[in-house]
Amino acid sequence: MDAFYLVKIGEILLKLGNRKEFEDRLRSQLNRRLAFMPHKVEAYPGRYFVSVPEEAAADAEFVLARCPGVNGYARARKVEKSVEAVLAAAVEVARGRLASGRRSFKAESRRSDKSFPLGSFELSAEIGARVLAAFPEARVDIHKPEFTINAEIRERAYVFADPEPGLRGLPVGSGGKGLLLLSGGIDSPVAGYQMARRGLDLEALYFHAYPYTSQEAKDKVVSLARILSGYLGGMRLWTVPFTEAQLRIKKLAREDLSTVLMRAAMMRVAQRMAERVGANCIVTGESLGQVASQTAENLRFTGSFTDFPVLRPLVGCDKEETIAVARRIGSYETSILPYEDCCVLFSPKHPILRADLARETEAYRALELEPVLEEAIKQAERLDLPYPLAEKYRKRGE
Amino acid sequence: MTYLDWASTSPPDASLLAGAAEAASQFYANPSSGHALGAAARAELERIRGRLAAALGAGPGRVVLTSGGSEADAIVLLSALRAQDRLRASGLSKRLRVVTTEIEHPAVHEQARLLQSLGLELVYLYPRADGRVDPAELAEAVTRETVLVAVMAVNNETGAVQPLAELARALAAASAALGTKPPRFHADAVQALGKLEFRPAELGISSAAFSAHKIRGPRGSGALWMQGELEPLAVGGGQEEGTRPGTESLQGAWAFAGAAEKALSSLAERREAALALEARLISGLASIPGALPLPLGRGPGDARYSPFILSAAFPGLSGEVLARALSDSGIAVSTGSACSSNARRKGRRVLEAMGLQPELAFSSIRVSWGELTGGGDIDAFLEAASTLYKKLKA
Repeated sequence: MDAFYLVKIGEILLKLGNRKEFEDRLRSQLNRRLAFMPHKVEAYPGRYFVSVPEEAAADAEFVLARCPGVNGYARARKVEKSVEAVLAAAVEVARGRLASGRRSFKAESRRSDKSFPLGSFELSAEIGARVLAAFPEARVDIHKPEFTINAEIRERAYVFADPEPGLRGLPVGSGGKGLLLLSGGIDSPVAGYQMARRGLDLEALYFHAYPYTSQEAKDKVVSLARILSGYLGGMRLWTVPFTEAQLRIKKLAREDLSTVLMRAAMMRVAQRMAERVGANCIVTGESLGQVASQTAENLRFTGSFTDFPVLRPLVGCDKEETIAVARRIGSYETSILPYEDCCVLFSPKHPILRADLARETEAYRALELEPVLEEAIKQAERLDLPYPLAEKYRKRGE
Repeated sequence: MTYLDWASTSPPDASLLAGAAEAASQFYANPSSGHALGAAARAELERIRGRLAAALGAGPGRVVLTSGGSEADAIVLLSALRAQDRLRASGLSKRLRVVTTEIEHPAVHEQARLLQSLGLELVYLYPRADGRVDPAELAEAVTRETVLVAVMAVNNETGAVQPLAELARALAAASAALGTKPPRFHADAVQALGKLEFRPAELGISSAAFSAHKIRGPRGSGALWMQGELEPLAVGGGQEEGTRPGTESLQGAWAFAGAAEKALSSLAERREAALALEARLISGLASIPGALPLPLGRGPGDARYSPFILSAAFPGLSGEVLARALSDSGIAVSTGSACSSNARRKGRRVLEAMGLQPELAFSSIRVSWGELTGGGDIDAFLEAASTLYKKLKA
């Protein structure tokens, strides 16, 4: 028997004019992520349905739990639209829940097909009665049930229990494409995840300053990109060598300016790379006041080096909030590995807090960094991180 | 690759590895077994122990076979828990004290912190600027509650030779003044073995830890020389008179004994060669603008330091970065300093304990050599370090 899932979609339903586009995008995102196994995605108004072979059920759940645009999903039974079939399926669904030790339940029904002989309330009552009759240990608790049996009477009848939460948000790509500045820290992967959830497709850019930053630091960034690829459905990571630029800044710039000037140079490179990959915005993990250099003045200054919008989804988050998300998406443990950027030598003791746009822009010009950055961009390395299931199925195929 | 990381580990002597495999095949029975094969293995193991004891210069006392230096240290340090527990069982509430130094190898430093977390009192001695511990400071730190003192013989980062005999005398005098018998005095001698004349029984210490792989023996083999009794924390089959449970590694002990014998017989000539390399390295460093030997002012042939180890600072460049760049240029050295915040304290602990400025500690690397190292290796290092330092220095 196939594993059959009912998939709830949320925010897409609110989109009136271009709802079709959002729906198609979600469907293609699901198809792309399920491509490694035999599968079927069916779209109906307000509900999607996914079926895969039983042995691929865990992988399908991996996909559904990480696909932006999915509000929730549940393993469901699809039956003919008759009262008897629905009640029989409800007993089977209850059997599974009771087997895991749950006892109290309630039934909820939705009838969009008004030709069905029972109303929602009556159907729920019938389900309750049938389950109680079948399992003496079960009891009804409509306030705090340990499980809920859902019946939906639509183009067919579906019976399921307790949907798992999805990521919600919007399907990847519906908001265009961005370039994520990915470091080895805690913030930037979370920023990427937040924007992916808002429907932004992403490529990532990492600045590697070997030998100042170690190979381990780079491997760590690759691991983080791999984690993000699980939400994006695959991701491309660009690594731009930044040693020459950093050395030039360190040698020529006033010490307290080196941090903002370095960030300005990174923005220049980001702008060029964004143009190259067809992105329309730049995403960073910056958070106001998190480090001394992240002030409104400094963000204005560094932001002036690109004409793309710079999206900073964490700008108003405190560190605890960011860490909580990092833990949830599985990037935290990687981010805290001790291979942080070895830029102690490049970090001034007292970085400037309030960059003056005109004056510091002049300081930046005086560095004559453009040829150095040009060369760095030429040497950019591309790494395609496939969707995690792709690797799993490739290994299985070998 | 030019290998200048002998203090981390040394290339094993292939003939010792082969001989050990042969011994293991020949005496395969468990030395604790009662049959004739077991007895033969027992006899061979004891012969090996005798050879090892002689080569270690052990003198009166026992040689306990261990899995390495760290385990030898752990047996001694963790026995303090048993002493504390006995006190508690007899209804006494006093906290026993352990005195060690801030420059110990993690095998001692981390174990001591563990003792502290389990309720013992821990006192760290800080060395003077020359990297050596002051006997007067030890005398001051000793109390009637002191159950253990642990000071290493030779520091693994600076090569500083600790004045163990003077420390032992100071400890004895301080204990006598307190009207108590001196506590156990343990020395991690891993970097001393085969590098200088080391006769533990003549130094007035009560135990010493040794490791085979620093002197071209295999990993996984070490020894604890000890006098007196101690109650180990780990228990099991009662091997090594109960001090180190676990079936003895005959091949490990065989190779260790062979390595120690070779080290002992070649000590004079190896030291002479090492002194020449040390002089070459120190004078070469002087010609790299900015580079400094550590501790500051260390000169060639100074008896306070092992001539097999030298730390050097390259101010303005992280030691970790320089070590990485050297590795890419085919030269293997270690760094005592790591850039990441987690490792930062750990990496700089020894040098900062001597009062060295954090900037210098941060920029340090450790060069260490052995009998296979030639003058050309030192020159290759100096040339690469000079070029890379100029290029990468901020």
